[in-house]
Amino acid sequence: MVDLAQNTIDGLMIGSSYGLLALGFTVIFGVMRRLNLSYGPSIMIGAYLGTFLYIQQGAGPLAVAGAVVVGSVLAGVYVERLCFAPMKAGAAIASMVSSFAIWMQLEQAAILVLPRHTYPFPPLSTALPLEFGPFLLRVDHLMMLACAVLLAFAVHGVLYRTRYGLGLRAIIGNPVAAHLVGIPVRRSVLIAFAGASAIGGVAGFLVLAVDQQVTPMFGMWATLKGLVAMMIGGLGSIPGALLGGLLLGVVEAQSQWYFGPQIRDLVAYLVLFAFLVMRPGGLLGEAPKVEIALPQGT
Amino acid sequence: MDFYLGLAQIIGVHTLLGLSAYCVLLTGQVSLAQAGFFAIGAYVAGMLTVLAGWSLVPALLISALVSGAVACAVGFPALRVKGLMLVVATTAFGEAVRLFFFNFTYQIQAGNLKLGPHGGEGFRQIRYFPENGWSTLDVVIFIWIVVALVMAALWWLDRSRAGAVLRAVGEDELAAQSSGINITAVKVSAMTIGGLIAGIGGGIFAHYTTHIEHIQFGVVLATFAIAYPILGGLSNVFGTLLAVIFIQGFLIEGLRFMGDWRNLLFGGLIVLAMNIRPRGLLDAGTTRALKRLFSSGKEPSGA
Amino acid sequence: MLDISDLVTAYGKIEALKGVSLHVESGRITCLLGPNGAGKTTLMMSIAGILQPRRGSIRLEGDELLGLSPARIVAKGVALVPENRLVFPQMSVQENLYAGAYQRADKAAVEADIERMYGRFPRLKERREQLAGTLSGGEQQMLAVARALMSRPRVLLMDEPSLGLAPMIVAEIFSIIAELNRDGTTIFLVEQNAHMALQVAHQFFLMEQGRITFKGTPGQLAEDEVIQRAYLGARRAG
Repeated sequence: MVDLAQNTIDGLMIGSSYGLLALGFTVIFGVMRRLNLSYGPSIMIGAYLGTFLYIQQGAGPLAVAGAVVVGSVLAGVYVERLCFAPMKAGAAIASMVSSFAIWMQLEQAAILVLPRHTYPFPPLSTALPLEFGPFLLRVDHLMMLACAVLLAFAVHGVLYRTRYGLGLRAIIGNPVAAHLVGIPVRRSVLIAFAGASAIGGVAGFLVLAVDQQVTPMFGMWATLKGLVAMMIGGLGSIPGALLGGLLLGVVEAQSQWYFGPQIRDLVAYLVLFAFLVMRPGGLLGEAPKVEIALPQGT
Repeated sequence: MDFYLGLAQIIGVHTLLGLSAYCVLLTGQVSLAQAGFFAIGAYVAGMLTVLAGWSLVPALLISALVSGAVACAVGFPALRVKGLMLVVATTAFGEAVRLFFFNFTYQIQAGNLKLGPHGGEGFRQIRYFPENGWSTLDVVIFIWIVVALVMAALWWLDRSRAGAVLRAVGEDELAAQSSGINITAVKVSAMTIGGLIAGIGGGIFAHYTTHIEHIQFGVVLATFAIAYPILGGLSNVFGTLLAVIFIQGFLIEGLRFMGDWRNLLFGGLIVLAMNIRPRGLLDAGTTRALKRLFSSGKEPSGA
Repeated sequence: MLDISDLVTAYGKIEALKGVSLHVESGRITCLLGPNGAGKTTLMMSIAGILQPRRGSIRLEGDELLGLSPARIVAKGVALVPENRLVFPQMSVQENLYAGAYQRADKAAVEADIERMYGRFPRLKERREQLAGTLSGGEQQMLAVARALMSRPRVLLMDEPSLGLAPMIVAEIFSIIAELNRDGTTIFLVEQNAHMALQVAHQFFLMEQGRITFKGTPGQLAEDEVIQRAYLGARRAG
């Protein structure tokens, strides 16, 4: 029983980082209605910038965190300019394929700069875990949860309390009408993309600070976890993104405990597959009305 | 020479992979499960020739059937979801297959060797071609006969009523449904055909590489599978072939002299191609123009 | 007020506008009639900057609008009430109105304008907190008009405001159009409903197959003939 509860706690903590990844993904998908496979790789570029400063300059955790966020934003904007801004309406798949190509490019760029397979990443906190009765809580895990909740409130605040957020919601509702009322759509979308990448950067920093190492594979990992958590939570829902992340974390933690680490991911994917098929709308979202428009040959 | 033969093998097998995604894309679905079907085909065919001592062609037929059956079984639940949901659901399935093989061990003792899939280490010693005295050229010819057969079958399918039905579903599901087309049947059939082709491709892949492991069948391969037909265009099967030659032949092998910088350029060129031709390299307009060129004056009515 | 000359807009190789020239007079209601596919909506989208014309010019009191972003065109004083209304469905009525005033920094005046809109469209006031997607067609049309007016346009473009509405509602919409015009708004209106349009318009144009084929005032052409050409296009005499 204590194990079950402790697993759940650990799962929730790890899950909060998935929730953060999903939050950034939700913003991008909400605005673009397109899948950005380079979301994780952009964060990975930020992480490599951070770890580069850490190795070469001995930068502290805060400086590294700043570098990760800045790097993620720059890479994110690069992806947006290349794969999303120039693509015409209806070419959603072209955007997705392009973002895949850029993913390979970003991975290669990281390997060119730091060619070893793994590099150390500075820990956020080396404090001993806090004890609550029989339960243990890691300090860096708590920070992760706090960041996730804070950023979710921040995103909600921007969307519902500011003029920029009003414009962004208008773009989500109907991009043509948003143009017609004078909202600078392209600029707003770029800013949203940058903001989402920054959230991803925070998530990436927190995850890597817990793991204390970084590899080029982190990009794909982040895309998959963020995407999966977003889908479980429900498309376009901010609380859904967080909830989806937490649930994914718990499922993973429990299956790791009961089936071992090798089977953990297998179980997580099977659960996801079953979940998506049974409840296509996710936990909080509505079933998506938006379809991916395919270019047809004839 | 060996270099070009090796390249011809890669292009042939990847064309099969791309064509398996092409069938599914025609009905308007984006499936990232193709690498999973490809993996199933590879493991099944490899086990049949290595462990059961079958010859290659029946082994490929069985691997196609198994992959097709799995695709059909996945098709029914997966097709309840659409668009991005389907992308993620099929990704989940593909990854589940990969992780299954990561944990799958089934070995038999053969002399002083242990043969068969061995979890994370993969499945080594799939030595059907060398043991039966096939030269590399034989293998290439065999692969391209299969590719030609599959392309001919799909070409014929595309021109038949069934092809029109597939495209109708892809273009406007609602309209297709209201004209009496059974959407589920069409989509599941497309998925099954895609599974069959991926199974054959995977089976051949296992034999010419002689060593397969789970990591080869991940999201990257799945994305390549749909990138080929998207980049090539969905107007006909040659677009996919063209895109495989462009990516594998030109971008990957042709740019090898650029060393580490290759992947940087690789990404840039694909993005450029998608920007210039969002409907693919070989879209309907180009196809018509080419037809006009080759039919030399004959009436090129419609596409 | 609004001068369009030799405007060409194309989708790929197909020219939807083949050199359109027309003039919208200040303080009046100008109406553009024509059959489906004549290029009316293409013209409206070109003026609003959503579509990029190949050549020609669109001048607002001498200022060239061609090549400006949609947002800059709104800032210059042109607002379009689009075909099918296109309200923001997941936002409340009030938020839709705020979105209409997106470029305005004069907060107090925006609040005052919203109250004016509620005065003119009492139904919107009743439903101010309701999501726009849940309004009836007529209410959405009123919201779309009010939203466009929130940018304080010098010219109001309207694309088929009567589309899909019941006859009673259509009459109401047209009386609103006449009223707005009496208060000084210049209106450029695209319509299928030639009968209603000719009752309010001061002058009208006929458009067929991407070209302006007639220009005049109501009464200059028998209504039968206008309707014939507006719905079916000119009879091909051979």
